[in-house]
Amino acid sequence: MDASASTRRQFLKLLGTAAVVGSVAPDIMAGSARPKTTMLTILHTNDVHSRLDPFPMDGSRNAGRGGVARRATLIQQIRQEQENVLLLDAGDIFQGTPYFNVYKGEPEILAMNQLGYDAGTIGNHDFDGGIDNMVTQFGKATFPLLIANYDFRNTVLDGKTKPYKVFTKDGIKVGVFGLGIKPEGLIPKDAYKETKYLDPIDIGNDMATRLRTEQKCDYVICLSHLGYKYDGPTVSDNVLAARTRNIDGIIGGHTHTFLDAPVTVNNADGQPIWINQVGFAGINLGRIDLTFERGKASMAGQSVEVK
Amino acid sequence: MKKLILWLALAGLASCSPGYHLTNRTASRIGVDSVTAPANASVARFLTPYRQGLEKTMNEVLTHSTGRIEKGQPDGPLNDILTDALLQQSIQRYGKPIDCSHLNFGGIRNNLPEGNITTGSVFEVMPFDNQLVVLTLTGDMLQQLLDHFSSGNKLVVGGMRAKLQNGKAQSVTFTNGRTLQPSETYTVVTSDYIADGGDNANFLKNAIKRETLNYLMRDALIDYFRQQGKTGQPLTPTSDGRISLN
Repeated sequence: MDASASTRRQFLKLLGTAAVVGSVAPDIMAGSARPKTTMLTILHTNDVHSRLDPFPMDGSRNAGRGGVARRATLIQQIRQEQENVLLLDAGDIFQGTPYFNVYKGEPEILAMNQLGYDAGTIGNHDFDGGIDNMVTQFGKATFPLLIANYDFRNTVLDGKTKPYKVFTKDGIKVGVFGLGIKPEGLIPKDAYKETKYLDPIDIGNDMATRLRTEQKCDYVICLSHLGYKYDGPTVSDNVLAARTRNIDGIIGGHTHTFLDAPVTVNNADGQPIWINQVGFAGINLGRIDLTFERGKASMAGQSVEVK
Repeated sequence: MKKLILWLALAGLASCSPGYHLTNRTASRIGVDSVTAPANASVARFLTPYRQGLEKTMNEVLTHSTGRIEKGQPDGPLNDILTDALLQQSIQRYGKPIDCSHLNFGGIRNNLPEGNITTGSVFEVMPFDNQLVVLTLTGDMLQQLLDHFSSGNKLVVGGMRAKLQNGKAQSVTFTNGRTLQPSETYTVVTSDYIADGGDNANFLKNAIKRETLNYLMRDALIDYFRQQGKTGQPLTPTSDGRISLN
């Protein structure tokens, strides 16, 4: 096969269709060459903090909200309606109710297995039971813990986590990778031991580029426990978004931020990417519905079509 | 041709695989409550034994008290029993003498009830997972610590007596017979929160030594009350007046 001729054909096709895709495409193309549309639904939680039961009915602000059994019902309903669903968690699974004090994280992880989580990342409080406990509890997970910027080589967690995972849903390749917050000053050294923290911007760029180019991912998600936004130069999801390329969406945590809707930030290529975070304690379930069409384009509705 | 391929590569379009591109994205935030969804029966069933175990744990009766044990200023029965308990348990864990213990007043979140004192009662007093930390301080630094927390009459200590005057700790004597000398060194057990500069105690970051006991304050208290319960003697809420106003 003549690769360059094929590329050229793609290019010519691109010139021919780019202008129409997006705005008026559906009507014009209806009937004959209408492109295949595929939906992907991302469901997400962050900072659930061992809140397995709903908040007690004690008159407090969150009384009666949350609860893993109700979340299970919602997720099940959405899975019945949608073919392609990814369920993700952005860290701080542990700590916050006596469940964690007594069971060290086991029911949290087993419940996430039952709900069918596809991946999670590691939050600072997930270290609260110590790094040995992380090995024990994460060992019970049927989903991978994704973290790209913690180097666990000199710890017992070595080899127990993955930097990223690529999910293929109805042909769509979704790359998911995890980023964690700087442990120093936040987590007791005795808990994180010899875990090395690597720069999330460098690693984020590297991961996303690899997922896009080597793994040919159509959509790249960063599961982040960096926090939504800070005063000053501390790395946050906002900083990460603006200073990287090839990340399409950031599912965040740590700051317990209740975003009404995803916030758009232009990345280093000027592409509008989404950051989302849905509070804490499982009070909310985040839902993002993505529509894809066959063919390559840069991203984010900038419809540039190649067949 | 080369130029063309380069342009395509820059645009991220170089792959021969067809791939997909995003044409639309929408989002919603779904509240999780009894209105949006009933509990999933199988997940609820899975949780039941954990919850029952938890209730059993929280309902374990550790000891009894003849009355409510309350915190107070400048001193109170709860202040005394908590700091004494922490000092005793820490010395056991440390394996060496410790001169005194310290608690931040605001970290005591509830009083202990009359009658049964359960694990749950201790959780209410100390919900935070603070670790016990042994700091080695010069006499000067210990005086600074005592003065810092004497402000507002919030000094909560074990293993010593002191008189407070104008937000300063005076006439300090140790239960172990030592006296406070500026250039001698002392050990104090406190929480990691305070040892790391919490409550504006930043000066504690200059401690001569900082040793974590890997022992939660709450666990130390639970152990203490459980042991105490085994003596069969109920607690009597009393304050020994270790901290008084001058």
